[in-house]
Amino acid sequence: MTGPGRIIIDGRPIPFGADDSVAVAMMRAGLHPNHGGTLCLAGDCGNCVVEVDGVAYVRSCQIRARPELVVQRHPAAEAPPMPTASRVDLTDPPPAPRIRVERAEADVVVVGAGDSGTSAAADARRRGRSVTVLDANDGMEVVGIYAGPTVIVRTPDGMLHIGAHDVIVATGAAELHPVCPGNTLAGLVTARAAQQLHAGGVDLGMAVAIGAAPSGVPCTAVPGRLLRIEGEGTVSAVVTVDDDGSGHERSTACDTVIFGIGHAARDGLTRMAGNLAVTVVGPAAEAFPLPAGPTAGTVCPCSLVNVDDLDSVWDRGFRELELVKRASLVGTGTCQGSVCLPYLRAFIAERTGEIPEPFTARPAARQITLSEAAAGAHVDAFRRTPLHDEHTALGARMDRFGGWWRPWHYGDHVAEYWSVREAVSLGDVSTLGKLVVSGPDAVEALERLYPMRVADIRIGRSRYALLLNERGHVMDDGMVCREAESRFVLTFTSAGAGHAEMWVRDWVETWGLRVHVLDRTMSLAAINVTGPLAGQLLERVGLSAQPRFLEHAHAQVAGIPCHVMRLSFTGEMSFELHHPVDRSVELWRALMAHGRDLGIAPHGLQALQGLRLEKGNVIVGMDTELDSTPRRLGMDWAVKMEKADFVGRSALARTAQLADDRQLVGLTMPGIAPTEGSPIWSDGDVVGHVASSFTSPILGHVVMLGWLKRAPFPEQVEVDGRTASVVPPPFYDPEGIRARA
Amino acid sequence: MLALEAILGLRVMASPEALDAAPWASEAVVLRFAPDDAFAISVMDIDVTDDHAIVAQEAGFVGVWLTTDELIERVVPHIEWPLPVARPALAQGLIAGVPAKLWLAEDRALLLCAGAYAHELTERLR
Repeated sequence: MTGPGRIIIDGRPIPFGADDSVAVAMMRAGLHPNHGGTLCLAGDCGNCVVEVDGVAYVRSCQIRARPELVVQRHPAAEAPPMPTASRVDLTDPPPAPRIRVERAEADVVVVGAGDSGTSAAADARRRGRSVTVLDANDGMEVVGIYAGPTVIVRTPDGMLHIGAHDVIVATGAAELHPVCPGNTLAGLVTARAAQQLHAGGVDLGMAVAIGAAPSGVPCTAVPGRLLRIEGEGTVSAVVTVDDDGSGHERSTACDTVIFGIGHAARDGLTRMAGNLAVTVVGPAAEAFPLPAGPTAGTVCPCSLVNVDDLDSVWDRGFRELELVKRASLVGTGTCQGSVCLPYLRAFIAERTGEIPEPFTARPAARQITLSEAAAGAHVDAFRRTPLHDEHTALGARMDRFGGWWRPWHYGDHVAEYWSVREAVSLGDVSTLGKLVVSGPDAVEALERLYPMRVADIRIGRSRYALLLNERGHVMDDGMVCREAESRFVLTFTSAGAGHAEMWVRDWVETWGLRVHVLDRTMSLAAINVTGPLAGQLLERVGLSAQPRFLEHAHAQVAGIPCHVMRLSFTGEMSFELHHPVDRSVELWRALMAHGRDLGIAPHGLQALQGLRLEKGNVIVGMDTELDSTPRRLGMDWAVKMEKADFVGRSALARTAQLADDRQLVGLTMPGIAPTEGSPIWSDGDVVGHVASSFTSPILGHVVMLGWLKRAPFPEQVEVDGRTASVVPPPFYDPEGIRARA
Repeated sequence: MLALEAILGLRVMASPEALDAAPWASEAVVLRFAPDDAFAISVMDIDVTDDHAIVAQEAGFVGVWLTTDELIERVVPHIEWPLPVARPALAQGLIAGVPAKLWLAEDRALLLCAGAYAHELTERLR
């Protein structure tokens, strides 16, 4: 045939006709798309799947042939090979094309533009409804119906997600495939497929029909019941047995067998939709009679499950339809049961006397690529502090921590460490959670929320606080700063801030207390000025009246309004300057400029984690586990059990009576820090693991926090093949003289 | 590319009654994020009848004013939830996977998000 062009099949060019699908073009060239099996050419079965332009498992009957399309048939007896990744740089953009996704709203979506779909659409329009009709023949392939209901459509341009008020499924009926010995040979087609091939000028050779013969297709009707199909690769004869009870077998030579043996509702979308508000009309809603139970042959051509396999799982006691499916994998392949489900139900019905309900269909109803499935999905959005560009200009290596981009280091984390210990340094702590709490019941609310005392915090003072859940497990930590009798500022960890805000709001509402809560996390930036020269630097930028340790005050720093909190995570004198985000760059630059001769340098998280570890300061979420109690962390000092109540108190009171075999401890040893997560050994057994580790420049040995999980807790353990001693933290400046300086 | 700029104003957490009764200037755009949470664009101060109100200068948002056509063309395709029909209206949710807000007036709209997300939203609406 002279066609408009050629497609490449298995490396060989073949011509195609103007209206050909890939499958029809292949059949015309004498190539079965999948080497064998009954073809429906209606998108129902998986017997024509091929690789098209590099995408595997594409139904060739659903793809219009176009010039230079490259088609590769899958191997005859196994799955197609996975593509080999040639790229090793994971930062490269993904090789798959970006799939365009569009979203739309619709009143009524009708899936299927056949007789029943057209009728349903017309009926809806008569009732004043706005109707969107989707049909695969128009290139609008519905691949799934999700909650909403949301209809997911593959279109020629990409993906379309339609939020529908009502969905009507009018997908018609699929033709039954034969199940008998020889049903995986080439040369088998359904009646509709035969009509399609004949109309396309495909020579069917000597064709015979089993069941209802298709009109307009030259073929010979073969009477009797189908027994088997014979041939080597391709059908050469069909064997039937007379229906008169004589047992007489008849073998009919042929090139093609056409099957008109019945229908089944094309209900994959409705089986997928489950309890969603989806209406089914026409043949898709019809209860067609089941075929006779299969006795031999391949039942599920997608997963290559035959009747012997079904018998096997049945004999092993799997007798529910869903269990037979899972045990044999029948119905789990490309067509999701379109071919095999009627036979599976018949198989079970013959053995139990009851017809089981169909199994659920899993998305997608059509094979789609991961790119198509992920179209419109987004990766997590990571926040930037207002100092992001300052960090990158200083050569910072930025990384993602707790939902933010943060500087890990600026090129030399040891130098950054020393600038904190010996001079002055800046740290961007804008990511800390910051809540303002105000109201006549603010003290009451915080006393109930926190395990430490709140009422006796004086105005202008602050206190470290753990945040516990009802089980007494540590969720977060931070500072409670009192600004007025009934007004506080709370800080939280960067990663825990979002959850902490919800936690505070939930409890305040649950208790019905009169408290306002305002999240200032993304409205205020914060710079930690830390180091023995921090006070000197701040004096240069106008902060002469400096708060003492654990005090806080509102003041102008370099002309910028700041909430100055004096505390210490690094172990050195530290001032957190909380300020409006739109002034942050200005403040940072002023501090850097005025501290130049003091040896100022910014520090990243890598240095900070070492600095705080020398002080034994815990990072919640890094050193803690989901069920870490204050006792396990050695932080009972932060809990006042004499308080009448607080969240987690009853759990702590109960568990305090029990022995505990877990403890976070300090550890030291010579040499280089072992990898965090390293096992801790004692007497040949693993008794815990390292949570944090750091080779301390100032102490000249390794400091660690680690979990011991077997009592009695040893005083010496082994880590990384070396002896480590259990030492109570802090390791550096245990009296806290430097922080209070 | 959308040019998101700082949207300054006043953030007020107060009782809903106090916010309802606050003497906002008639031309002020006051976004009620919640019954007890208002963001008044370009407003510098306000008296509210709630002694415990939290009134703070707000610099944490960035945004851009859009025409209706710009909204439909550049933003709506990235929204997976139905927009309110009434005008004016405040809508809040993920836009292109980024937490954001939309103030929908008769003939224009304000796209708003936290400044910390500005780069993400800009990139995703490119």
